[in-house]
Amino acid sequence: MPQVYSISQNPITAHAFNADRSQVAVSLNSNDAQILGPSGSEWTTIETLAEHDKVITSIDWAPNSNQIVTASQDRNAYVWQQTPDPETGKIIWKPTLVLLRINRAATHVRWSPKEDKFAVASGARAIAICSFDPENNWWVSKLLKKPIRSTVLSIEWHPNNVLLAAGSADMKARVFSAYIKEIDERPAATVWGSKLPFNTICGEYASAAGGWVHGVAFSPSGDVLAFASHDSSISIAYPGGPVHHIRMPTLPLVTLTWTTEDTIIAAGHDCQPIVFSGSDAGWQEVGTLDDGSGSGAKAGPGPVGRLKTGAFATFQNADSRGQGSNVSNDTKLTTVHQNTITSVRPYGGAAGQVTQVSTTGVDGKLVIWDTASVSALTGRMGAMSMS
Amino acid sequence: MEVAFRKIDIDAFDEDVIQESELYEADPRDPAQVFEEAKARQASVRSLLSKNDIVGALVTALDNAPYGPNVEEAKTISLQTLLGILNSTKSTDISNVVQSLTMDSQDTLMKYLYKGMAMADSNASVLLSWHEKLTEVAGTGCIVRTMTDRRTV
Repeated sequence: MPQVYSISQNPITAHAFNADRSQVAVSLNSNDAQILGPSGSEWTTIETLAEHDKVITSIDWAPNSNQIVTASQDRNAYVWQQTPDPETGKIIWKPTLVLLRINRAATHVRWSPKEDKFAVASGARAIAICSFDPENNWWVSKLLKKPIRSTVLSIEWHPNNVLLAAGSADMKARVFSAYIKEIDERPAATVWGSKLPFNTICGEYASAAGGWVHGVAFSPSGDVLAFASHDSSISIAYPGGPVHHIRMPTLPLVTLTWTTEDTIIAAGHDCQPIVFSGSDAGWQEVGTLDDGSGSGAKAGPGPVGRLKTGAFATFQNADSRGQGSNVSNDTKLTTVHQNTITSVRPYGGAAGQVTQVSTTGVDGKLVIWDTASVSALTGRMGAMSMS
Repeated sequence: MEVAFRKIDIDAFDEDVIQESELYEADPRDPAQVFEEAKARQASVRSLLSKNDIVGALVTALDNAPYGPNVEEAKTISLQTLLGILNSTKSTDISNVVQSLTMDSQDTLMKYLYKGMAMADSNASVLLSWHEKLTEVAGTGCIVRTMTDRRTV
C-alpha cells in the first residue's frame, strides 16, 4: 500500500528528500520553501527557507554534500547550507545567492551527480550551468543557449556529470554537454559522443505529435533518454537507434523517472503513476502503481483522463436522462492523488534498482509508492500502440 | 483602465521571436504536388464510396493529409472529401469504422472533426456523433493531440 501524507491544501510545486529520507523540502506554491520532518504519522514544518521574492518553481537536495538549491520565478537561485548561527550557535540554513544571468523565470533545478555543479532551466531560452569558484567564494554560471527556442521546462543530469538532458516548450528534448573545464575531468566516450566541449548538442528529438516537452529522464546507465510531452505521449530515444513513441489515450504525462534500465514510471494529469517497460526493441505500458482502492472513493468513476468520470458522468446523465439532482455529488477520484501529479522522484533503493518512488502534486499530497506493486489498468479507453 | 497596450504585438519587437515554421517539420512536398494528390485522393475516395467501402475510403482520405502553409486549396478539397465520407456513413457503423483505423489516422480524423466543427455551415450533429465514438476508442489523449499538434490540416 502506498504511504499517503496530506501536506497542505495548496499545490506542492516541488519536493526533494534528504539523503536518509528523514526530511523533505517542499514548496507550497509560495515564495518560501519548507523543510518538513516526520512527527507521528504526519510531516510538520521544521524550518522555513525564506529568501525568494517570487514563487519557488523547483527544489533539489544534494544527498552527499547536504546542500539545498532552490529556483524561483524571481530569476534567482539560492544554495542553502547548514551552518552555525554566528550569534546563537544554533544550526541554521544559510542562503547564498547565485547570479544566474537570466532575464526570465527559473523553472527547474537539479544538482549534478558529483554535486559540484547544478543546472537551472529558465524561460529565457537558456540553461544556467552553475559551478563553485573557490577563489572568489561564489557560484558562477555559464549559459547553454543554442539552439533552444523556447522555455526550458525540465532538466536531468547524465550519470557522467557532464551531459544534461533538457525538455523545452519548442517541442524538443535535447542532450547537451555541460562540460566545465575548470572542474570536470575529460569524460569517457559514451553513446552520446566522445568530443564534448560546452554546448555540444549530442541529441535532439521531437515529440510524437507536436507537444511541448514536460519531463526528461536518462536511464540509469545514461544510454537512453525518455521524455513526456503534452501531446499525451512518452518517447524513448536510443541515440543512433530507434525512437519509440507511445501515444496515450489519456491526459498528458508531465514527469517521469527510470526505476531500472528497462522500466519507467511516469505521472501527470491522469493523477496516477503509470509504469512502462521495454527495451530498444519496443516499449509498452504495463500498468499503474495506483490500484484504485487507496483513496476511499466509491468504485465506479475512473481517474480524470479516462472518460465518464465525476463531472463528465454528471453532465452526461443530466443530458441523456434529464437527471441533474439525484446524481452522486461524490467528486472524489478513485486515484490516491486527487489532482495532477507534478513530480515523481526516486525514493528507495539504489540507482538502477529503485524500489520506491515519491510523488507530489497539485492536491497537496506526498505519496510514497512501492515500484513492485504494479496493477493492471482498468476502465481504460482504447488501446496502446507503438510507432 | 488603460488596456490598449494589450493589443501591441510585442513579438514584432523581439528580434529572436520563435517562428511558426520552427515548431514543426515542414511538409517536404511541393504545394502543387500536394494539390494533385488531394484531387487524386478525392477521386479514389469517390470510387471506394460507390463500392460502399467506408473504411477504405476513410483510410485513403486520412493518409498523407496536407498540413502547413501554402496548401489551402488542397486542405479545402481534403476536408470536403472527408466530410463526404462522414456524412454518408450510417451512424451504427461509426464505432466499427473508427476502431479499424490506426492511431495516426484516428489523430488525423480528430483534427478534421474539429476543423469541420469550426466551419459556419457544418453538419454538427454528424460531426458530434463521430466525435463521441472516436473519443470512446482513442480517448482524451486523441483530443489533446489535436490541440497541441501545429501540423494543422
